[in-house]
Amino acid sequence: MFRITLTGLLAHRLRLVLTSLAIVLGVGFIAGTFVLTDTIDAGFTQSFAADADKVDVVVTPDDDAEPDGNLPESALAAIRAVQGVEDAQPMVSGDAPLIGKDGKVVGNVPTAGVSIPASRIKITSGRAPSAAGEAVLDKNTAKTQGLAPGATVTVLDQAGKRQQFRLVGVFDVGLDQDLAYRGAVAFTPDTARRVTGAKGFTEIDVVSSGPSPESLRTAVAAAAGKAKVVTGRERADEVAKRNHVDTSFLRLGLLLFGAVALLVAALVIYNTFNILVAQRMREMALLRCIGATKRQVFGSIVLESAVVGLLSSVLGLLTGLGLGAAAVAVLRAVGTDIPTGTVSLSPQAIAIGVCTGVVVTMGAALLPARQATRVPPVAALRAQVEEHAFRTGVVRVVVAALFVLTGVGLTAAGVLQKPGQAALLTVMAGGVLVFFSVLILGPVIVRPLSGLAGWVPARLFGVPGRLAVDNSRRNPKRAATTTVALTVGVTLMTFMTVLTSTMRTTVGDQLDQQFPADYILSAQTGTIPRSVADTLRASRDLAAVTEFRGKKAKVNGRDFEVGTVTQSALGTAIKPEAASGTMDGFGAGEVAVADLVAKDLGVKVGDTVTVASGGRRTSLKVVAVLKADVSLLPPFTMAEQTFERHFGRVDDAQVLVNAADGVAPERARKIVDDATAAYPVVKVGSTTEIRGQFDEALDSILMVITGLLALAIVISLLGIANTLSLSVHERTRESALLRALGLTRTQLRGMLSVEALVLGLVGAIVGVVLGIVYGWAATATFTENVSFQLPIGQILLFIAASGLAGVLAALLPARRAARASVVGALAAT
Amino acid sequence: MTTTTQVRTAVVARGLTKVYGEGDAAVHALRGVDVGFAAEAFTAIMGPSGSGKSTLMHCLAGLDTVTDGQVTIGDVEITGLNDKQLTLLRRERVGFVFQAFNLLPTLTAEQNIMLPLEIAGRQADQALFDRVIETVGLRDRLGHKPSELSGGQQQRVAVARALISKPQVIFADEPTGNLDSRSGAEVLAFLRRSVRELGQTIVMVTHDPGAASYADRVVFLRDGLLVSEVERPTPQTVLDTLMALEA
Ligand SMILES: Nc1ncnc2c1ncn2[C@@H]1O[C@H](COP(=O)(O)OP(=O)(O)O)[C@@H](O)[C@H]1O
Ligand SMILES: [Mg+2]
Repeated sequence: MFRITLTGLLAHRLRLVLTSLAIVLGVGFIAGTFVLTDTIDAGFTQSFAADADKVDVVVTPDDDAEPDGNLPESALAAIRAVQGVEDAQPMVSGDAPLIGKDGKVVGNVPTAGVSIPASRIKITSGRAPSAAGEAVLDKNTAKTQGLAPGATVTVLDQAGKRQQFRLVGVFDVGLDQDLAYRGAVAFTPDTARRVTGAKGFTEIDVVSSGPSPESLRTAVAAAAGKAKVVTGRERADEVAKRNHVDTSFLRLGLLLFGAVALLVAALVIYNTFNILVAQRMREMALLRCIGATKRQVFGSIVLESAVVGLLSSVLGLLTGLGLGAAAVAVLRAVGTDIPTGTVSLSPQAIAIGVCTGVVVTMGAALLPARQATRVPPVAALRAQVEEHAFRTGVVRVVVAALFVLTGVGLTAAGVLQKPGQAALLTVMAGGVLVFFSVLILGPVIVRPLSGLAGWVPARLFGVPGRLAVDNSRRNPKRAATTTVALTVGVTLMTFMTVLTSTMRTTVGDQLDQQFPADYILSAQTGTIPRSVADTLRASRDLAAVTEFRGKKAKVNGRDFEVGTVTQSALGTAIKPEAASGTMDGFGAGEVAVADLVAKDLGVKVGDTVTVASGGRRTSLKVVAVLKADVSLLPPFTMAEQTFERHFGRVDDAQVLVNAADGVAPERARKIVDDATAAYPVVKVGSTTEIRGQFDEALDSILMVITGLLALAIVISLLGIANTLSLSVHERTRESALLRALGLTRTQLRGMLSVEALVLGLVGAIVGVVLGIVYGWAATATFTENVSFQLPIGQILLFIAASGLAGVLAALLPARRAARASVVGALAAT
Repeated sequence: MTTTTQVRTAVVARGLTKVYGEGDAAVHALRGVDVGFAAEAFTAIMGPSGSGKSTLMHCLAGLDTVTDGQVTIGDVEITGLNDKQLTLLRRERVGFVFQAFNLLPTLTAEQNIMLPLEIAGRQADQALFDRVIETVGLRDRLGHKPSELSGGQQQRVAVARALISKPQVIFADEPTGNLDSRSGAEVLAFLRRSVRELGQTIVMVTHDPGAASYADRVVFLRDGLLVSEVERPTPQTVLDTLMALEA
């Protein structure tokens, strides 16, 4: 039997190539994921190990110390006095806002001001700071600010005064995510403390003069007092472990897409084996005639799938190695900081890749193999294998109905639920069930759908078009599996586009509501002097200047942010939405409360709350409960005079500026920029910019996801190509007959292209419908106020692209069909 | 339909040679066949298995290329035409009936019959359609798919399809080969009627003397050469000629 299987495989090798390709790609993606994450992991581990060797003992604040609790300065002297300590270097960390080229502080958060032990700092050019007037800058900030050693850098010290330093070098922050995000200026320890005002140290690195790290650790621990003391190696392991969690997330995310690709591959394989079994009906029957048992027939097909699965998986591993290496290269090329490690396939990657490949292939071949055992021996004696007309079975309808009902039920329940993660998960579970019902009902719905999708082509392309539409629906089971494979990818793509476009408009609407302004002034640290708002208000080119102020205070005994807003802006520049009560005529002794806080404290309109701070108490009457998710106002908003009476004169936290009608944006911007020029920490943002940044972020997320989903789409196209070439093979005689009756080669090719077009369109239509419905359902579970947005252009593009891709997939099979000689095909049995 | 000559020829082959393969493996299927087929007549091609009957038919119909020689259908020499031109020629001037797999399984009998006209983008002659359907006796079967028709009915649909486009010549390769004798006789009688009543030209390949006797004339092939012919054949005269050839 084994030999028969092998000869069978060889005879059908061409047809199996496309199938293998599906598995090769799926396994390749999974293996590639492992290669990529393993390489990153290995690189990190290597660089940690290298770091660890430079330091023998590391002292950090105790794990249960307060978040900002540092090691006391006395600890350093104590540690230095320990016998066997060659050197102990402290690490200092605080804020040192860097002033950029535009005269404003750099970034959204203050640049970090640090001191890093000389043994640890990775200088990439120049040298480490050694004198009070020297500083080094992290690589990325140096690049974006165009600063090189020799230049002068200006930072704001703890008092907000400008301090100038000579840049003597550039350093690499390595794996410190915090420093990488904020950017960092490094000084000598004393300078760092003076500039940032930081008390104590975040870390002390100890180098041994002889004793082993373990014995030194004990001695240092005794001297350091309340602190966490570990060896350099232990510390490296710890950091590596934390980093491994990060790569695990990346791995999990990528594997999810790999799983989708494999699901699609499984559908393709299932279909291929089904068709092969149908075509080899006679062969199977003959085997049964000459004495093969059902088990042997079943075994031969399963064996065939095992061989295919194994070979493809091995090829997939090689592909994965290439993919992983390419991904690493691309990541490095775009400037992502990954330590260099050698790209290799880990035993784990090999095992998982081969196992999934073989299991998926064999699993997908099981049903077709069972079908093969149903072939009666007498079939060998029949002249012609008749095509089975598909009849909708009761079981299919009942099972599908069950899936649809529970799926739709779950979805509806999720949508009606309160927005949140539970609702989203309910909707997704419903989505999976509905998808399965589509899978089961595929053969039933594919006929009317192909009629729909083929309506235009059948009228446009004459006889070949009509024949093609007929052909696309003559074997509903086959057509359904082929198209459902494409549906998977299209559904997910549509889902993502609907999600992002809805997010875009929803957030856009919220921005409009929350920031009904052209410019937003905010302070990176501290507050905005009131003179800024006064200056702006004096300009006739600006229509509205709204100030927001806030202070921490106890309200009914609990800590909250209490604030106020320019009185005249209420109801004009900002229009808070009240859930109950109103802010109309808002005045002294009144307070508006955000809904979430009101619920928390159990207060409602008409109640009285007490604000207490600095020994002062003010009682306020609640006049409005505000919808928090569309409000800019703090949890508690008081009228301006009441706020001032309680807190005294407070500077602005934020100022919103609206240009007057007809004033050019450049002009308005200049006025705002001029008014804030003297205050480097006051940053000016425009709502257009904020929205642009948000759009950009959404676009790049969508692009990455689309790219990852493209794999599933490519595999499903292989499926279309496969089904078509197998069908073409089956219909050799028919094609020959049509050619004899006067169908030209071009028309025959056109016929197959239209058939593929219809298959592609059907897959896309189902996918688009599912994607839109679930995109809508998912957004409904996000927040209360979603502005659902249907990206019609993009969706039409998906449909058109799917049809086109189908046609592309038909190119080779169609060429082969058209090339066949009429006489040869007529003679074929 | 008056013509200058008494008997017009619809299809003519001169020095027709067909060689399959090359060198040692070369098979000479036709070795220089000269033959003409009269218009509005029913001609049968006979010969033992492997004598080149099917090859001759394929070459005459422009389905296959010839190694040497010429074939003319009506006034067109088809041996110089390319694939596209041949396809258009078949569409306009040639009808086919094959031994099996004559019909598209997805189409109804009526759609199968109309297929060549639709491919050519021509309108059906309603009178001709009615007459053809009447002659084949398929009126109540028009909406059926091939799988719902008997073998004889399927072949009659195939013949009707060949007739409906009024081709200059219909080639039939063993049209009754897969049929029982009663259905076979029906199809043959129908072929003969379409020659008598519709003035159709038919060339039929067969190895059955009984089938050949329905024709006006039988030509005999042996080893790729035309070796004999019989006018107004009866089963007996055909059988006698065959016996003489085998001897
Ligand atoms: N495609 C082909 N390749 C090689 N030899 C062929 C081919 N078709 C037919 N032949 C050979 O040509 C000869 C004539 O075949 P054919 O015309 O089919 O005979 P008939 O129809 O009279 O039985 C036979 O010897 C046959 O083996
Ligand atoms: Mg033959």
